Amino acid sequence: MIRRLLILSAAALVLQLIPSRAAAQEHAYFVTYDHYLEEPGNLEIGLSSTSGLPRNGESPYHAPWLEIEYGVSGWWTTEMYLEGVTTHRDGSGFTGVRWENRFRPLKSEHAINPVLYFEYERTNEASRIQKEIVGSGSLDFQPISWLRSETMHELEAKLILSSAVRGFNLSENFIAEKNLSEDEGVEFGYSLGISRPLAALASGTPCRFCAENFVAGVEAFGGLGSTLEFGRAGQRHYIAPVLAWRIADRATIKASVAAGLTPASDRLLVRIGYIYEFSTRGRK
Amino acid sequence: MNATLSLVLSTAILGGAIAHDASWQAPADAAARVNPLASRVEVAAGGKKLFGQRCSECHGADARGTDKAPDLTSSEVQAQSDGELFWKISSGNTRRGMPAFSNLPEPQRWQLVMYLRSR
Repeated sequence: MIRRLLILSAAALVLQLIPSRAAAQEHAYFVTYDHYLEEPGNLEIGLSSTSGLPRNGESPYHAPWLEIEYGVSGWWTTEMYLEGVTTHRDGSGFTGVRWENRFRPLKSEHAINPVLYFEYERTNEASRIQKEIVGSGSLDFQPISWLRSETMHELEAKLILSSAVRGFNLSENFIAEKNLSEDEGVEFGYSLGISRPLAALASGTPCRFCAENFVAGVEAFGGLGSTLEFGRAGQRHYIAPVLAWRIADRATIKASVAAGLTPASDRLLVRIGYIYEFSTRGRK
Repeated sequence: MNATLSLVLSTAILGGAIAHDASWQAPADAAARVNPLASRVEVAAGGKKLFGQRCSECHGADARGTDKAPDLTSSEVQAQSDGELFWKISSGNTRRGMPAFSNLPEPQRWQLVMYLRSR
């Protein structure tokens, strides 16, 4: 499966050659969602990874994921994820699929813009991409082959609130997740983000390194226990500076380094992503 | 059956994107806003570049519209105030497929208004 993901990433790079024009969206966040949905008819393909440096001498890991996002309409974006993991000592493997849908109920911009998010996940216990964190407890560092045998079906919902304030984006995500495969109650999590472009005015000439092509910010995320276990002990919380660089009209690279804030958190999560966007609907 | 459903959905979505939405009107205070960059002709070129990056996919490279979005050089659009255009760029209209560009800093949105005025 890792080989398959690498092939798909090569395909994403080849997409640079497609003569289409669509503005890449510079979402700097990896975990937090804002209220900007995919433009109708646009397809976004992203290859990202989460590299974790655990505490207590556990094996470092690298968890790549491929995301394919499509703007169905101005108020509905759908997205599919394929994810895997490889570790220094514990093996490698495919860790599952996710299908998410985001709906923006309001027509225009408001002080606070709500988005409703629903996701179905079919993942296994080896999943390490940590696109969101819910519940409590640290990651399970068993051999990947063992962890892959425990498959979970989960439903997840998020309330996304997002605002544009004086050039900044402020986003708050509230997460509830239900494991349909075993009774873990309903698990909760959160994510908060603030970001802004580094330049207010656009220059008149094409440029790759000018400040207007960069968005910087910070996001914080973590688990908040569950209906069965709501104590703070064992919760994972992270804070991460994030940076997005729009390298071309259609392509964005982003990166973040998240620091674990609790003993149950990994020491560091290093994330890198490459996003490519193009229009699937022609014009006159 | 699936093909028919897809066709109906696509037609509805694309049709909606170009249909006129009479209820999509800027509030009076937003419509009255003045472009703070109006006297800075040196920043207009940035508006042209932004239009090429953000808007031309739907509105066409010359802003004269495509099957996805309307002609921005039309008298109907040009009759609107700078403040109305700024508000529509900022707010978007999810029901008509127009994205909100409030993620762009305000000066860049005013640069877009400057470019539209030059068309």
